[in-house]
Amino acid sequence: MNPPTLLVVDDEARILSALQRSLRREGWRVLTAGTPDEALRLLREEPIDAVLSDHKMPRISGLEVLDAAARLRPAAARLLISGWPDEIPPERLAALGVVALIPKPWDDADLKRILREVLAKA
Amino acid sequence: MGQSKEPVRIVVAEPAGRRGAASLGTAEALRRIGRGVRIEIVHDAADALALARGSADLVVVDHALGAQAERVITALRRTGPPVVVVTDEVGADAALALFNAGASDCVTASEDYAEVLPAVALEQIRVWRARSARQAVRQRIRDLRSYLENIIQNMYSGLVVLDDAGCVAVANPMAEQILGVAASGLAGRPIAEWFGAAALGDGCVARTLRSGARAQGVEGVVLRADGRSVPVAISSSPLLDPDGTQLGAVVNFSDVSALVQLQTQVLHTEKMASLGRLAAGVAHEINNPMGFVHANLAQMEEYLADVAKLLDAAREGPDRFTALARELDADALLADFGQAIRESQEGSERIRHIVQDLRAFAHRDDGEWIEADLNRCLDSTAHIVWTMMKHSVVLRKEYGALPPVRCHPKQLEQVFMNLLVNAYQAIGTRGAPGGGEIVIRTAIADDGVLVSVEDDGVGIAPEHADRIFEPFFTTKEVGEGTGLGLSTSFEIVRRHGGTIRAASRAGGGTVFEVFLPKQGGAQT
Repeated sequence: MNPPTLLVVDDEARILSALQRSLRREGWRVLTAGTPDEALRLLREEPIDAVLSDHKMPRISGLEVLDAAARLRPAAARLLISGWPDEIPPERLAALGVVALIPKPWDDADLKRILREVLAKA
Repeated sequence: MGQSKEPVRIVVAEPAGRRGAASLGTAEALRRIGRGVRIEIVHDAADALALARGSADLVVVDHALGAQAERVITALRRTGPPVVVVTDEVGADAALALFNAGASDCVTASEDYAEVLPAVALEQIRVWRARSARQAVRQRIRDLRSYLENIIQNMYSGLVVLDDAGCVAVANPMAEQILGVAASGLAGRPIAEWFGAAALGDGCVARTLRSGARAQGVEGVVLRADGRSVPVAISSSPLLDPDGTQLGAVVNFSDVSALVQLQTQVLHTEKMASLGRLAAGVAHEINNPMGFVHANLAQMEEYLADVAKLLDAAREGPDRFTALARELDADALLADFGQAIRESQEGSERIRHIVQDLRAFAHRDDGEWIEADLNRCLDSTAHIVWTMMKHSVVLRKEYGALPPVRCHPKQLEQVFMNLLVNAYQAIGTRGAPGGGEIVIRTAIADDGVLVSVEDDGVGIAPEHADRIFEPFFTTKEVGEGTGLGLSTSFEIVRRHGGTIRAASRAGGGTVFEVFLPKQGGAQT
């Protein structure tokens, strides 16, 4: 069986790098996108099982990325990570079916646990 | 007597019913002086003196009153009015005695008495009135002098009068206090010893002395002998004689240290406020490296645990080690470990940089004029602001090669910060979906440098255009702007001898243009 694929979207390359190292060891195939274009391309072309996106990014917000993911990969689990989780309206999260809102800086162990739960549900 | 319109008043003191011997009574003789002469007749010294002191012009005393006559003569000796004695006796000795006692003249009741007495009386009155008039003028001059003296001595600003060579002729106590010298140490000394630049070359006081040019409220600095320097506002005007010939200069100056201190405080407060507005962007900028450094540390803990396992396995033997190394993918582990360390170092370095930038910006200006590269000032300011705006703004820099500019770089950075933050907020207010663009341009212009900040934001409403540099004028929400940003910028630029203006940009948006002379603030 192929490993599950996780798409991580963040405009900060070092965040992508840290998440990639951390989650690779959890058995995920981790794809990273630093721009909206790259994220959309990967959503279209790759068999993505979960999307983890930063919220505050230039030119596009995390909610917009997850909105695109909901349309392109409806089955993929949607997770949002943000430095200001309180500023995101819960009703929008609910409307988009976001399964987890992760604060930044995140706790690596928490994140791994949340993703394991996502994997178990899939 | 022509100078006075007061009627002539003469007091005649004589025994009741006397002077029958003469052809005419004393009062009758005096009436010959003319109309308008008021004659009051009394019979003793007390009445005579009471009337005399009530502004009589002359007292005529009959010697026949004896001791009473002497009393009148002696009493009025110093104060006047003059006393003329009418006497029966003839003789130099007697006359001399009367003069010694204080009489002004002495008339014998002889045949020509009726002619002589009015003439003598008139002459005495003329002399007395002239003397009184002179005294009144002198008194008036004394009063006026003390009036002016009082004003000068008590005015709450320093006043010095300079001769045509610029040396101190007069100084008031406040001048002594501000200059830190006693009056004795000021007299005759060139004012340039304290005023420095203001009294030399093209300084305002030097110009007044040279060409009579007036100056009002020019900023200057007094250099005191005790090493203190006091900021002052100087006004100077030419001192002219009635013909219009210039004799020197009148310079007044006040200590404005409190004002300068307040201005500095406002400047700093405004700077802190703009720093506060930056805080959110900065927090975001710090949060990202914080995020991955934090995660990396957790990972490195895991890596270290794996390394420890490998070490244990190595102690057990090469086979065990090889097996575990394969299982844990030791090469990848080592590579990840190294990467996590390097990226964490980079992250903490980034945080250090941000904090350093903020500290540099928040730092109070040390008040020194230095030569600075404005492109660099703009870069370091843009760098801080960039963290806040990079999500919604494209920043373009079109720098020209600039000569060094004499300035307070920290203060100019504050101006640039204000312009950039305003541009950013203007773009946010317009709310265009694709964000906006800010262009920073620099170029050489005349004898200075032109810096412009252009945005394609919401623009300035025409009805606000005249007010944007007013203190406390703001169109921003409560808590978003102090209304001091542009007025502070205006003041900073003015102090640099430059200008700042705003213009609407074709196609929407705003351009702020700041001109700064190469020799900023050189005139004060």
